[in-house]
Amino acid sequence: MDRELLLEIGVEELPAAWLPGLTTQLAEKLDARLREFRMVPDAPVETYATPRRLTARVSRMPERQEDLEETVTGPPLSAAVTPDGQPTPAALGFAKKQGVAFGDLARVETPKGVYLTAHKRQRGRSAADALPELLGAVLRDLSFPKQMHWDAVLDDGRGELVFGRPIRWLLFLYGGRVVPFTISRTANAAGPQVQEVPSGAVTYGHRFLATSGRAGRSIKVRTFDDYRARLSEHFIILSHAERRDRILRELELKARKLSGRVLIREHAALVDEVADLVEYPGVVAGFFERGYLELPHEVLTTTLVHHQHYFPVVDDRGELKEAFLAVVNTSPSDERLIAKNAERVVTARLRDARFFWEADRRLRLEDRLDRLDTVIFHKKLGSYRDKALRIEKLARWIAADGFGRPDQADAAARAARLAKADLTTDMVFEFTELQGVMGGIYARAENLPEPVWKAIYYQYLPQGVEADAPPSRAQLGDAAISWAALSLADKLDTVVGLFRAGEKVSGSRDPFGLRRAAQGIIKILADRDELGLSGHLSLGGLIDRAAAEYGDGRADPAKDWLAQLQIFFGERVRHLLERRGSTSNESNAIVRTDTSLHELDPLEARLRLDALRRVRTSERFQKLAELFKRVKNISKGVTSEMSWAELVEYGKATSESAEKPLIAHAAHSVNLVDAARQERRYVDAFTRLADLQPDVAKFFDDVLVMAEDAAVRRSRLQLMARLRDLILSVADISEIIPSSE
Amino acid sequence: MVTFQQLIFKLSEFWASRGCLIQQPLDIEMGAGTMHPETFLRVLGSAPWNVAYVQPSRRPADGRFGDNPNRLFKHHQFQVILKPAPDEVQQLYLQSLEACGIDLRAHDVRFEEDNWESPTLGAWGIGWQVLFDGQEITQFTYFQQAGGLDLSPISVELTYGLERFAMALQDVGDVFDLEWGPRVKYRDVRHRDEFEQSKYAFGQIDMPAAELHRTHRELFEQYYVLAQTLLRSGLVLPALDYCLKCSHMFNLLDASGGIGVTERTAYILRVRRLAVSIAKKWTGAEEEEAAS
Repeated sequence: MDRELLLEIGVEELPAAWLPGLTTQLAEKLDARLREFRMVPDAPVETYATPRRLTARVSRMPERQEDLEETVTGPPLSAAVTPDGQPTPAALGFAKKQGVAFGDLARVETPKGVYLTAHKRQRGRSAADALPELLGAVLRDLSFPKQMHWDAVLDDGRGELVFGRPIRWLLFLYGGRVVPFTISRTANAAGPQVQEVPSGAVTYGHRFLATSGRAGRSIKVRTFDDYRARLSEHFIILSHAERRDRILRELELKARKLSGRVLIREHAALVDEVADLVEYPGVVAGFFERGYLELPHEVLTTTLVHHQHYFPVVDDRGELKEAFLAVVNTSPSDERLIAKNAERVVTARLRDARFFWEADRRLRLEDRLDRLDTVIFHKKLGSYRDKALRIEKLARWIAADGFGRPDQADAAARAARLAKADLTTDMVFEFTELQGVMGGIYARAENLPEPVWKAIYYQYLPQGVEADAPPSRAQLGDAAISWAALSLADKLDTVVGLFRAGEKVSGSRDPFGLRRAAQGIIKILADRDELGLSGHLSLGGLIDRAAAEYGDGRADPAKDWLAQLQIFFGERVRHLLERRGSTSNESNAIVRTDTSLHELDPLEARLRLDALRRVRTSERFQKLAELFKRVKNISKGVTSEMSWAELVEYGKATSESAEKPLIAHAAHSVNLVDAARQERRYVDAFTRLADLQPDVAKFFDDVLVMAEDAAVRRSRLQLMARLRDLILSVADISEIIPSSE
Repeated sequence: MVTFQQLIFKLSEFWASRGCLIQQPLDIEMGAGTMHPETFLRVLGSAPWNVAYVQPSRRPADGRFGDNPNRLFKHHQFQVILKPAPDEVQQLYLQSLEACGIDLRAHDVRFEEDNWESPTLGAWGIGWQVLFDGQEITQFTYFQQAGGLDLSPISVELTYGLERFAMALQDVGDVFDLEWGPRVKYRDVRHRDEFEQSKYAFGQIDMPAAELHRTHRELFEQYYVLAQTLLRSGLVLPALDYCLKCSHMFNLLDASGGIGVTERTAYILRVRRLAVSIAKKWTGAEEEEAAS
């Protein structure tokens, strides 16, 4: 304990969602500051968080700061001393700034001449002396999704201290002794009710629970082990993992008593969240009337999980039971007392939900389109009714022409037309997170066929770019094609519409969720072969069509928003490839910055990447990649004008023996590479390119491209340009040469 | 059994004993106790202020003709303002629950993040909903801004939803089954008003909808002009009265479907502009007082 540092920032309840981030942040910021203060810890910084405390511990700390020694270079001698040997103002100024006498400045020889230098030594302070300043810095370092004013001030010259929630106590010990530190209060607020927060050696236990004495009184501690043990006696479980484990155990136990179980994997996020809502978790079982089980299970689950943070209980067939489990921040003596109140809230919500469920179904989705006219999609792009009518046409086109599945066009169009109607239902007004899902359920209740209702149900998916992001093929059933068409149409309409309207995505600013929408588009396209859709389809073609619904003719590439979309989608496709394991060099090879939207098909990009990763290790391929860099350089700015046929004619006439085989081989490969590419046999395409490598190498060894004869020079440059285009048509393999990784 | 009226007594006594003035409701229709000048104006400026009062709060769109066990056209808030926010405020709040007969050890009382914002008042704050066994019984807010002005010092606002709180204390599932006083139910006191006000709010009256909308619009305009005139005349409190009238007319228009989406935003902005000018005028007046 001699050299242990223990910090606990006692706060009013922090939002659960912040705790994981703050746990990491506190460790990082404290560690960085310790290093900056020249007290590199001898043990890692450990951090913990509960709703009411952020805790950090370093088990072994240096006893003092390291001494600081540094040499600072000043003005050149020529500018520092007058011809008669007197110091210039510049030299004196430098000495003063460094805190040394002019006579103590040294001289140093450099290639640029002689310079003055100051050598400074500063003795390190003891840890106890340096730590107060460090804590002030750390408190200011912590950042919160939303910060608040609470009339607090630090005496560090920077004034007000904003924080996530008010700080009520500070436990700050080094070697078992209190490190003095104070948070002051603004003059406006300070008084008997609003006092400064000094550091101390005490912590606080659970608000309401205590084994003896009054709950919530202060507890004196000396070491971390002591601290943790005392907290545990006072009903505080410091570690998230322990709280989580306790919740899982209790959930399982309680569910078993109800002859049911909790789908822990499905509710993993809820488990993590509730573990950060409490300091001492317990689990209480509650019930509701059996009749509510007639509600769509999505509605029941949303009520319990999203609104109340309660866990649904299912029977052995996975069907919901009329019971729930609530995680509470206490160890109740009488569970029923708490459960009764929880049941009253759940029942009130379910009663509302049942009312909505019955009232909403009195109006068909089709009859809701007029009401959609009052719901604004975007001020420049009209209402959701306008959107519904646009995506109806777009989805029809995607299914029939884009996917080549005219048999699914009616279902896709119907689903798209009705997709947004649920925005006018009371259920979605009250349970916003059920948009789409609810529309699907209402469509099912209207006996619309599966390709229609399921397409509506899953329209907001996928949310991730991983290959297994839902919905799965099995979930989609007969709706795979209509869903893909609707989901694409909706997102394309949003992205194209908003880019046209001048909305931008920058950094963390993406208020309309354009990145997510674009990723959805790319994910669907990239994995469409899973749905049996493998025809050619470029992003450019889809975007043209989406823009046409906004009244544009064929999209004019000169348009600013189209240029932005090209960059945006290029980035997003590379992002998907990288999320699936490609390096950035590989993704740059597959999607060049100048790849046009009409060349860009995420499915092809994905398959080309797979092929590239298989062939790139071969020696021939590696060598070709290096040679390709030369091909690109020499042909820079040269446009292909001569055809391969013309080049072959030239090859017959040329005198260079190293040139003939390259031309013949390459000309022969063109159609083969092209065919392989068309048929998506990319390994074959890459292999055929790699086979050219010995001829390319020999060409560069023996042939001078920049020949004196202008006609010869032109032909050779044209050969290089054609070769460049041939290779680029598969990938910019110059990106993957080893030196650039 | 704590009756509805006893709950009000207990809270009033508790907060009076902690140094709060007990104020009365403002006799004007409003959607929340925050709009009462004892909150909206008193949190501005630096003078300390501690006050508590009941405020009947009208939300026309929540009217359910007295048929819904949880939703009301008019409910009651018990509002506490502590300025500056004391360090012990959470503790004080928990003591107020104990004063109402709650055994904190036997229940699950939690502070869960719930920040509050009122676009029409240009006001927002950081805080929690207080959950009593999963039921929200209080909104607990550290005000950060009101009337578009940054606040210093920070005030804390505690808003107890009296009906929900009483339902939890009396263990009833239907608000109309609450005991208001000895042998008198909430139904006996409030049901007829709920029914009639809901009919009005949703336009079920002897007047075509369009005409009712027009009436409300015209009233809004008249109140708006009057509020501006009063403000120009330096009369902040009467101006606030008519700002609240505007807000209520807007709520009625909204409930009866007399407002489109874009128009809706425009109405909110107008009320907000009025509220912001009132707040500015009020703080200006305070500075003058301090200077004289």
